[in-house]
Amino acid sequence: MKLARRVAVTGLGAITPLGNDVATFWRRLLAGESGVQFIHEFPTDALRSDVCASVSGFEAERFLSKKETDIYGRVTQFSLAAAIEAMDDAGLGGLMKADVPGGLERASGGCAVERERIGCLMSTGQGPVDIFEQQIERSRERGPRAVSPFFIPGVMPNSSAALVSMRFGLMGPSFNIASACATGTHSLATGAMMIEAGLADVMVTGGAEAATRLNTVAGFGNARALSRAKDGDPRRSSRPFDVARNGFVMGEGAGALVLEEYEHAKARGAPVYGILSGYGLTSDGEHLTRPHEDGRGVKLAALQALERAGLGPDAIDYVNPHATSTPAGDIAEVRALRGVFGERLAALPMSATKSLVGHLLGGAGAVESIAVLCSIRDGLVHPSLNVDNLDPELGPVDIVRGAPRVVKVRHALKISAGFGGHNCALVFSAPE
Amino acid sequence: MSDQKDLLGLFKTVAERVDRRSFETVTRDSVITDLGVDSLSMMQIVGEMETELNVQIPDEDLVEIVTVGDLCSKVERRLA
Repeated sequence: MKLARRVAVTGLGAITPLGNDVATFWRRLLAGESGVQFIHEFPTDALRSDVCASVSGFEAERFLSKKETDIYGRVTQFSLAAAIEAMDDAGLGGLMKADVPGGLERASGGCAVERERIGCLMSTGQGPVDIFEQQIERSRERGPRAVSPFFIPGVMPNSSAALVSMRFGLMGPSFNIASACATGTHSLATGAMMIEAGLADVMVTGGAEAATRLNTVAGFGNARALSRAKDGDPRRSSRPFDVARNGFVMGEGAGALVLEEYEHAKARGAPVYGILSGYGLTSDGEHLTRPHEDGRGVKLAALQALERAGLGPDAIDYVNPHATSTPAGDIAEVRALRGVFGERLAALPMSATKSLVGHLLGGAGAVESIAVLCSIRDGLVHPSLNVDNLDPELGPVDIVRGAPRVVKVRHALKISAGFGGHNCALVFSAPE
Repeated sequence: MSDQKDLLGLFKTVAERVDRRSFETVTRDSVITDLGVDSLSMMQIVGEMETELNVQIPDEDLVEIVTVGDLCSKVERRLA
């Protein structure tokens, strides 16, 4: 009998409001630091939000030529940087081409893995909105002949998957998946599916977003989805599960995870952070932006993920929920989780990564999954910020607060839900 | 001659701006593909020159362009 192909996670990479590598991101998550600040890039007087979680100190020139920094949007640049860190971490950096920034020292190390069997699903939910704005403005000012021939390849959402696959000469499947705030999570699930189906041995997967612009803040804000600084303090604005929560904080960044067929990883002695042991993909099928009030689709996704992992709900040691900090979203999600875990939810540790880094939209599920894998590795769960008064409507839940908690995480559940009613749940398990 | 010089100068300025590198040693005899300018960058340079000079170079002119001088001549003809 042929054994089923299993999916290991062998590399991690992150660009986040709390740091531009996984180690810094994780250290500051454990410290409970906030990456949320006032918006400085444009005036916020007429906007419904005045805060964001931005990436700072990003050194584009380490990863891209000057010309490329003009062609590719900020989201694509973040995706590439995160993917490179993840590939290095997985011991696959040697696949990088020699004639690109940072390529020579990596390529000289060499790497014997087949490029034909490696694909890329580095996705974005909104795409390179900065490029769109810039070229529309250019056309308005100087006419359509001045629009760059690089506009379309630069603005296409799959520019990240294209750039990463070009950098490493990857010849497996690569494209973009968009499901709004569930984009990164759907990309991980789909990457795992492709490995299980035998279409690839390695998939560079994840998500990214860099869409904090005047008009996107206006759009989300006018939909009443965004928070503001609380009592003059931006760091207190993202407060999932708190009674005073009033919306999310737009964040930016990228998370990349190298998924690899388990035996393939073992054969080359790659480090294994964990196993992506199950996934569930569902839709609410109900409303464009509002989650189903009982979290019907989220519950179904979680149950599917558990079933696929061959686990009962009792096996889960930690939940990293979507937890956007919107009034309706958090309550619906907790109802969904109670539907899965019953009374045990009261004693099941949960922490909301968005309370610290804001909502990375298309990048959220990937970056939050990285936090989960670090928890599995270190036996530590990061705290949630700003749960000053737990919303009594949520019922009994165990939100980790104040300090990191020691938890032996053998199996963890990650949830994401996006505008459009798109839900995705993942189960990560400790390596044997 | 002064017009020719100006167009070569404009080419270099525009090429430096869109390709983000030096084109200092370029002459009218330089072959565009030898300069490492790919087809999209070439179209970007043409678009920039068109908008700077407020002319349009018809597509049929572009197929015959091999050297920087060829491009300058096409632009000169449209300016005349």
